Amino acid sequence: MVFSSITFIYFFLPIVLILYFISPDKYRNYILLLASLFFYFCGEPKYTFLFIASIAVNYFHGILIEKHRGTKIAKYVLVSSIIFNLLLLGIFKYSNFLISNISNIFNIDIKFVEIALPIGISFYTFQAMSYVIDLYRGEVKAQKNIFNLALYISLFPQLIAGPIVRYKTINDELVHRNHSFDDFAYGVKRFVTGLAKKVLIANSLGELWKLAIYTETPSVLFYWLGAIGFTLQIYFDFSAYSDMAIGLGRIFGFHFLENFNYPYISKSITEFWRRWHISLGTWFRDYLYIPLGGNRTTKLIWLRNILIVWFCTGFWHGANWNFIIWGIVFGIILAAEKLFLLKLLEKTPSFFSHLYALLIVIFSFVLFNSSNISDAVQYMKGMLGLLNIPMFSKEALYYLGSYKVLLIAAVLCATPIPSNIIKKACQKNKILSAVNNLEAIIYIVLLIAVTGFLIDSSFNPFIYFRF
Amino acid sequence: MKNKIITITFLLFLFLIPALNIIAPEKSISASERRKLEEFPLLTSETLFGGEFFNKLEKYELDHMIFRDKFRTVKAIAEYSVFNKYDNNNIFIKNGYVFKMEYPYNQNYVYDMSKKMNEIYDTYLRGMNVYYSIIPDKNYFIKDHDKHLFIDYDDMISILNNEIKNMEYIDIFNCLSLGDYYKTDIHWNQENLGKVVGVIGKKMHFSNDFNDNVFEKKVFSHFYGSYYGQAALPAKPDVLAYLTNDAIENAIVDNCEYTGDDKSSQKVYDTDKLVGIDAYDVFLSGATPFIEVENPKNSSGKELIIFRDSFASSLAPLLLSEYSKITLIDLRYVSSEMLGELVDFSNQDCLFLYSTSVVNNSNILK
Repeated sequence: MVFSSITFIYFFLPIVLILYFISPDKYRNYILLLASLFFYFCGEPKYTFLFIASIAVNYFHGILIEKHRGTKIAKYVLVSSIIFNLLLLGIFKYSNFLISNISNIFNIDIKFVEIALPIGISFYTFQAMSYVIDLYRGEVKAQKNIFNLALYISLFPQLIAGPIVRYKTINDELVHRNHSFDDFAYGVKRFVTGLAKKVLIANSLGELWKLAIYTETPSVLFYWLGAIGFTLQIYFDFSAYSDMAIGLGRIFGFHFLENFNYPYISKSITEFWRRWHISLGTWFRDYLYIPLGGNRTTKLIWLRNILIVWFCTGFWHGANWNFIIWGIVFGIILAAEKLFLLKLLEKTPSFFSHLYALLIVIFSFVLFNSSNISDAVQYMKGMLGLLNIPMFSKEALYYLGSYKVLLIAAVLCATPIPSNIIKKACQKNKILSAVNNLEAIIYIVLLIAVTGFLIDSSFNPFIYFRF
Repeated sequence: MKNKIITITFLLFLFLIPALNIIAPEKSISASERRKLEEFPLLTSETLFGGEFFNKLEKYELDHMIFRDKFRTVKAIAEYSVFNKYDNNNIFIKNGYVFKMEYPYNQNYVYDMSKKMNEIYDTYLRGMNVYYSIIPDKNYFIKDHDKHLFIDYDDMISILNNEIKNMEYIDIFNCLSLGDYYKTDIHWNQENLGKVVGVIGKKMHFSNDFNDNVFEKKVFSHFYGSYYGQAALPAKPDVLAYLTNDAIENAIVDNCEYTGDDKSSQKVYDTDKLVGIDAYDVFLSGATPFIEVENPKNSSGKELIIFRDSFASSLAPLLLSEYSKITLIDLRYVSSEMLGELVDFSNQDCLFLYSTSVVNNSNILK
């Protein structure tokens, strides 16, 4: 089940809200846990038991670490837990990638294993690992109540596409949390905004990439249109999911950390990764980069650390070489920025540094979204006019015209400009302030529009599901 | 206070929609979209654990959502008016006419169409008088002064003329204008086919032309064509006129889709269909693989075979006076390999009559 579905919005959510808010406090976690497991079951019935088993294994590892804190046994248990989680990820996400590469290298024919990628496995295994590692480090205490730990790992707002919520962020709220109209209304606003970003903007922009890929009249303009369309789509898609997750979390009294902070206004790739998928970046920083030694070591080891982290970041996104290269390329650029580029960029007029960051991001997403490396190279050649194709085609101009308002709106909404304008206008102008008081109507109108778009289309998966 | 209002409004909306959905009677067909709606999925351990149940449940919910058509209208309005998109699901409206973009141009399918027609000629039609004609879709009439995307009509006709052998081409592009088509439907309007009948008659050596025939005009004034539902926007209905005369009224229709009493009561104009899902089905009862229309008023023994799509359903009745029998074959529903079992090909006239949309997607022909 996805948030942007009729079943979720008009059936699952109202039922869960009723059950949750009419129940006494002591039963609310159980209601949320059951709802979360049912939510997972709807999307991935056959892997639900695997999911529950993963929760149980991590729970017992946590208990053992707490019991043997300060001894070698705790370390062994931690290693065992990490191996278990990585093995889970390896088997279900990377088996066929490994088989395909072994087959290619040794020129042998090994059959692929018939394993589907369980939804959300990359997110929940990382959450589980963060719990046991933080526990081992003594940053949190073991959760003795298995249902509370199960709720932390399975909490449906962030279960299948993040953000990767750290246990320490919500451990107190697992036991006691407050509910208020302020939180609920904030949650509604974030949830509906996320829905609108996903359904009204991201889904429509996604068409541009498909059109550019499948056109019979390719042109440089069309390739750019597709690449920019996807760059905007992935931001609106993924950040929308985070908005919805944060909003739903808030409705139920949880305060998740922000996962995006206008990444496309960045003036360097370093800044971009501070603003993009923040929960993943900080996860790798805290659980891989720093344990490897971070930057408090020799330059060579530091470089190695960066490449390892970005190899893993790429690999986390998908079991394919284009994701690995995508990650490594970012690693190299980040290393170059830290060594000398950032200083250069600081002296560059902000228009150019901004353009630099955006161009790298756009090209990187071409690599990210292509089926394989040769397709990505071909596509980039098309963007650079190296394919003996015209600059424009009638078709490209048509779609540029047809999507211009959406593209402009998306570009603007990817910056803080609109929200700043509204805030300032509301402070200065009484009429706008009055309009601001009619926010409820605006969100209902958005919800109606989202429903209209959902009904008009029948297939609507989130991009980040495949990770 | 503002936050209380937001919370309460959201909750009211969230509970109201499913409540209305539960109360509303369940539909099995969407009239505006002309299709069967998804049925409630079968709940078994296999469908549940295989994931099929929940996938189908979402489709069911989408199909049976209360105010489904109204919500689709909201989407269409948002696309046109807010996002200023040039089309919504390839549908656009211009001067009150609803169009569907026929794009991209599939040149390979045009070649395939030629090949198929040549094969049919070689297999069944050798020595017969064979003609072909292509019906332009509505887009043809606005292609020179509109921003939308269009197929290359000139190239299409040029390929067909070069590739198709042993058949005479009847050019009807100049006999038609946009006004000859329904505003809310893909099809042409039967009462405007005078020129077309004239040109076809001249090439195929008809004795009479359209104007000499006396037709009685009957009308159905609430025809919402197939594009109406797809556009999901408010539009005035078309007037569907159907022309009849003695030959048509007394014709004996043999439609392979019908059996028993239904078969014997078949008429050229199936007026029951006027209040059905698609009123255009009034012409020869709509889509069918194979249909024979005998005209007892014509004793010449002349027969016509039409390889056709739905456009011919409204044209064929106008040609009936000239023939003792007209056979219509729709290769979308019957394989060309089976034709020998259905028709005794001898010395009939033969006409391939297809719209540009079918030529551009000729892979749908069997």
